[in-house]
Amino acid sequence: MGNVTWRIARTRGGAHLPLIIVAALAVALILIGKAQSSLFDTARTHVMDWMKPALVTARAPMVEFTRWVGSIGEIFVVYQENLKLKEENARLLQWRNTATSLNERLKRYKLLLNAVPDPALSTRVARVIGRASHPFLQTLILDAGKTNGVKPGQAVVDSSGMIGRIFLTGERTSWVILLTDLNSRIPVTIEPGNAQAIMAGDNSPTPAIETLSRGTQLNAGDQVVSSGDGDILPAGLPIGVILVDGSSYRVGLFADQTATQDVEILDFKLPPEHPPAPSPNDLPVTAAGLPPAAPPPQQPAAASPTVKPSVSPPVRSTVKPQVPKTQGATPAAPSGGPDNDVPDVGNE
Amino acid sequence: MERAGNIMGGRFLASTIPVLCGVIGVFAANLPFSFLGSWVPSPLYALMPVYFWCLVRPDLMSPAWAFLIGVLHDILSGGPPGVWAASFVATYAVIDRQRDAFAGLSGWGALLGFATAALIACATDYFIFDIYHWRVLPLTPYVKEFAVTVLFYAPVALLLGAIHRHLVGPLRSDF
Repeated sequence: MGNVTWRIARTRGGAHLPLIIVAALAVALILIGKAQSSLFDTARTHVMDWMKPALVTARAPMVEFTRWVGSIGEIFVVYQENLKLKEENARLLQWRNTATSLNERLKRYKLLLNAVPDPALSTRVARVIGRASHPFLQTLILDAGKTNGVKPGQAVVDSSGMIGRIFLTGERTSWVILLTDLNSRIPVTIEPGNAQAIMAGDNSPTPAIETLSRGTQLNAGDQVVSSGDGDILPAGLPIGVILVDGSSYRVGLFADQTATQDVEILDFKLPPEHPPAPSPNDLPVTAAGLPPAAPPPQQPAAASPTVKPSVSPPVRSTVKPQVPKTQGATPAAPSGGPDNDVPDVGNE
Repeated sequence: MERAGNIMGGRFLASTIPVLCGVIGVFAANLPFSFLGSWVPSPLYALMPVYFWCLVRPDLMSPAWAFLIGVLHDILSGGPPGVWAASFVATYAVIDRQRDAFAGLSGWGALLGFATAALIACATDYFIFDIYHWRVLPLTPYVKEFAVTVLFYAPVALLLGAIHRHLVGPLRSDF
């Protein structure tokens, strides 16, 4: 194809040494990359941050063009589509009423059971400015990065369901590993039945269901949501429905990764656990119905010469109750007992 | 003196054009949008200038440049570093050894020659990926990538030929 009309260089032999060197460099690069991938991730994010303005500029006409091309085909099916949407809208309105009443009931039940509240979720909208489609790599590049509070591990969803999760963040851009990517593994729950499994991407449009409990039978159309195991992703994110593929199961994703332009990044914040401050009523003696003891009488320090900290038995700080010093809530220990005079140093 | 400067400047420009085409190929392969849809991989645009100038002007497309173009492809594609670099170097090595055979092809034969090069690149990448992940990966994505790369070579080769004739070619008498 056009390579016969020119005089061909005859430098064979001269290039052999550089070939060996660069081949060795390539192998070394693979090994270093396997051991220290963060080095290349940093380079990657810097390049993407630097390219962000160009990507954003190039995105707008391409989006318009794609929309225009898509709209040509839609003209011919707009009437049928309209009828279908009206029907679907009516059905969804019924479902919305059901969902609202069920949601209220769920809230009441949670209140009655004093259930642990769901972790807080904040969202951040980002635009897709890059889309890599290579044999074993399916990623998106978003126009939000560390400066916008994006962190690796956060879930990325569109209006239909989950798309993937952040795996690399630059200052102003971030990379999303799609659910269909070969490296994607997500713990999921399949409802009804609450079956737990791992959804694994294999670069096909429908990720596979793996590590399902033996004997678990799934049906086509069962709902797949994130399970929240490992506290990495929030539980209950809609992902897709089960497709039966012979003896295995696959997931038909709700989100259309090929057309998504705007996404939401979910910041999943587990509430920090603060142990409740102990009150006198929490102490075993009070809880058992016994009256709280009076504070021990003030004794001069010299009155108990027999007790020395150095000879006291070791006391585990974890079993010693934290008694507020202002209140004498616990029954007094026998005078001169070791517990009274052991210095409270174990907590430090 | 001025003429000598112009010649030096032109020579430098001509020598950078093949590499520049490789870099543009990397960016084109990693564009955020695809006319082919997300389920068809992007063609290996970066391999085309590497193959073309490795045959026509290997002094302008040295193994080091092929390696660096591969590294850039690795960085921009988001894949493990060094995989495409190694694939490009392996392809370069085969083309370099069989240059006479490849260079003598024309028409459909030239397309077949590039298909061989693309097959080597895709196969190398596939095997490295297999070893990298320590599992046998599905072949279908690579078959798609190979097919789409070969399909796109014909128009790109015409463009590269025009670039070579008008920009790089005039300096070929120097070598």
